[in-house]
Amino acid sequence: MAKNEPGHWQLGSGNMEKILSEVAAHKGESLWQDAWRRLRRNKAAFYSLIFLILFAVTSFIAPLLPIASPMALTLQEEPQPPSWPWDGTQLETQPGSQATSSLGAVLNNGWRHRSTITFNTEGDNLDTVATELSDMIEEVTGRTTAINRVASKGDKPAQLFFGIPNEADDTPRTDWEKTGNEGKVTFFGTSAGGWLVLDLPVDEALFNSWSTVVDKRKGNFYLVPIEGNQAGLRYEFDLPHPFEGGVKGITFNGRNLPADGKLADLSVAAEASDDAVDVAPLTWDSPEEDAAGEAAPVAPKGPIASLAEAPLESPTIHLLVQLGETKNVLLDGFDLRDDTTVISQGDSRDKVLFFRANTTAKEFQGTFHQDLKRQLDSALASLSLADGATATLIEVESENGYDWDMNGISHLMINVRGKVFGLWQTGNWMGTDSKGRDIFSRIIWGSRTSLMVAFWATLTSLLIGVTYGAFSGYKGGKVDNAMMRFVDILYSLPFIFVVIFLITLTNEYKTELDEFGLDREVIFYLVIGAIYWLTMARVVRGQVLSLKNAEFIEAARVLGASTKRILFVHLVPNVLSIVIVYLTLTIPAVMLFEAFLSFLGMGIEPPKVSWGTLAVDGTEAINPLKIFWWLVFFPAMAMGSTLLALNILGDGLRDALDPKLRGKD
Amino acid sequence: MWFAVTLFCVVTISFFMMRSVRGGPFDGERTLDPAIERNIEARYHLDWPLPKQYFQYVGPFNLDEHRAEIFGGDGSKVFGGVTMLEFGPSFKYKDFTVDQIISQSLPISALLGMVAMMWALALGVSAGIASALKRGSRLDLAMRLAATGGIALPNFVIAGFLIIFFVFMIPLLPVAGWGSVKYMLLPGFALGAPYAAYIARLTRTGMLEVLSQDHIRTAHAKGLAPKTVIMRHALKGGLLPVVSYLGPAIAGVLTGSLVIEKIFKIPGLGTHFINSALNRDYTLAMGVTILFTVLIYSMNTIVDLAYTMLDPRIDLEEM
Repeated sequence: MAKNEPGHWQLGSGNMEKILSEVAAHKGESLWQDAWRRLRRNKAAFYSLIFLILFAVTSFIAPLLPIASPMALTLQEEPQPPSWPWDGTQLETQPGSQATSSLGAVLNNGWRHRSTITFNTEGDNLDTVATELSDMIEEVTGRTTAINRVASKGDKPAQLFFGIPNEADDTPRTDWEKTGNEGKVTFFGTSAGGWLVLDLPVDEALFNSWSTVVDKRKGNFYLVPIEGNQAGLRYEFDLPHPFEGGVKGITFNGRNLPADGKLADLSVAAEASDDAVDVAPLTWDSPEEDAAGEAAPVAPKGPIASLAEAPLESPTIHLLVQLGETKNVLLDGFDLRDDTTVISQGDSRDKVLFFRANTTAKEFQGTFHQDLKRQLDSALASLSLADGATATLIEVESENGYDWDMNGISHLMINVRGKVFGLWQTGNWMGTDSKGRDIFSRIIWGSRTSLMVAFWATLTSLLIGVTYGAFSGYKGGKVDNAMMRFVDILYSLPFIFVVIFLITLTNEYKTELDEFGLDREVIFYLVIGAIYWLTMARVVRGQVLSLKNAEFIEAARVLGASTKRILFVHLVPNVLSIVIVYLTLTIPAVMLFEAFLSFLGMGIEPPKVSWGTLAVDGTEAINPLKIFWWLVFFPAMAMGSTLLALNILGDGLRDALDPKLRGKD
Repeated sequence: MWFAVTLFCVVTISFFMMRSVRGGPFDGERTLDPAIERNIEARYHLDWPLPKQYFQYVGPFNLDEHRAEIFGGDGSKVFGGVTMLEFGPSFKYKDFTVDQIISQSLPISALLGMVAMMWALALGVSAGIASALKRGSRLDLAMRLAATGGIALPNFVIAGFLIIFFVFMIPLLPVAGWGSVKYMLLPGFALGAPYAAYIARLTRTGMLEVLSQDHIRTAHAKGLAPKTVIMRHALKGGLLPVVSYLGPAIAGVLTGSLVIEKIFKIPGLGTHFINSALNRDYTLAMGVTILFTVLIYSMNTIVDLAYTMLDPRIDLEEM
């Protein structure tokens, strides 16, 4: 290229030879081969391409990577401050951050990895209805249920939500002998608060898989309330692994409950409940298997759970012990066998809710949700509820640890991840955010959203823009004039407002759209794409205008080809190179626009994450007291480097595909 | 002519789109007494059929047979509609008309936009010229990289970095608010940064093209000082792409200020637009939309005029 000093724009004889030899070497190459050769020679563009491919692959295989969960897995009582792991003062391992293995929560009997079944109910005694319904669900699905919420608002019918685990494997194993003390303990507490501490021997695998572990050193496992409602706080945790030693004891509200074979002296309110199940000592007979409970005062062999009378101030505590096929779960002399489930149930909200020992685990077969809904419906039809209450099944929907579409290949990858990495996962290399979520994994998962935006929006703009521009350019004359005037008008519209308006519109009609099977996010992508076609249309029109009088088009027309055929078979392939160039420049624009909308709170909704929401979280966390720079820096870097690479690649492609335009903007 | 058509389309489409959305401006947490609701609706003519509301809104005839004032006062003034540049009362800010709100916030937004554009032009053009003259040097490379980076980062991220550096680490400037010059620096910089980057790129390529042309060679050959050649001869042609970019840039600065105003808590137009769209404040949202359309359209027109003045070869009629 010429420099502006005199004499430099002339080609030397050496240059000429070089050019001629190159021409000879590459004679007869197609446009694409030629472009690829040029692109490879442009180092910056070539490395950008490699970077982008790596980026796309990484975001595609995100479920396969052993990274922490991008979601908040536990709702804590107090939000934690963002943490930075490299500054020496390591925060104590907290639930929801390092100690949480996202895989453990996803694959194991994680409470999030479940389906929610919703009923509309009417009746006086909702608790009774709840019990009956939960029995029914357990009967049908072979899984234990947990009642999440009983809500009634105004004159609307009350809604009952039941949670059941999704995977058939999530139901407790039936071969108790093989798996040891595997099981699930759910703890219903009151709003009185306090920790339920289970003294357990420290076991690394168990520890890591526990979504609720706090203090590693003492071997205490704090159970964190995962949700609270009027009925009190519900404590729940899983024992996904066989572990040695057994439960040593339970403390509640700071009091140690005897560990001498009595798990707990949690008094179940004697005065509670018309069911008149009084204080209920629970014994948990484990199988005839000698577990190595070295330091543990109690071998798991003995009864490790019992409820004895105790002067608790707020005595409304409930334990749900769900085991494999335990033959004997004793509750105050009741001998529970087989599929006996409900033992006691109080009628008042702040009293005992449930006491249940599930002893069966039927294998559930069949395609899950549709099938389940049908089965539940038929079971419901044959069920007569007490007191003339009514219940209608509303929906069965799935929920998993990522709250993400986990079907098909992603689910496969999650499983492969489990096989390959087990419960191991990376630390919080880029710190955590104000909800204890790992920034690194959020960036990677967010890139999936950004990729989707880029893909859909660009595709939309491509389709509209190319068709519109090609048609307008080919028709020419008045049609062209009118169509381009329309584009001009659209250009002078303040488009951001139209988009904001469209998005509030889709938010408003969310339920209706769901009925048509339209995802709000897809619409969001399409809306973005629908406003980026203007430039594309102009560019394509210009190209078509210059091409349409070329001989080959004339020839096609003389041969009697239809307009459609001329447009899409002859013209569009010839404008493809410039279209590709504009495509690579549209993608960054679209991604920026997504970030912009997310900033205004109109983009992707939590718990999903996109780079826009990450950047927004970062900017919102800016405060004068402490600078959480990693919340701003890393998302900005991820976004900046990707968009930079896209821009460089776009420039490189333009130079490669259209050498005439080299160096122009 | 096209201006009127555009404006008509904007007014009509946005009016009917806005009214067709479910949920009104007075939907609140608690349900109102039906009588009160009727009164409120009557006050804002929401009980009229839509076409009538539309004609009332557009004006210039007052369709209200009682000649009622719809925004308070002594009845001496009758609502004239959009054609009389009256946008009606705000539904949300009860004591204000849309005109009042706009006249309060437009100067702020305009000032912010001007600061941003001035800074973007100054930095972008000088950086572009510098890197075009030192083509291939480290300076050029650094500037090109910075420019691409500036295009690649969203302006609210840039704003975040700016706040961290200049407010918290080196406490020089106030973090948010509006008032003296001090308050304008950070938002103006953040708002203008992407445009500065783009202008720098455009200037660079424009200058490069002009510098290799014959008339520049002639100017050099007849012994003019390099400075004169650049300032007098090269710059005029080299800045043409920048001028044509100014229209979109100004539109971008206007809309981009939504975000910047939110971050820096500036009481400008952008804030009002978002709030009004969310609150279903029909008249305010319409007013702001119309205003932005007018601004963008007139900016585009001015840019076209400026273009013909700079480059006599271009005939406006042909465009």
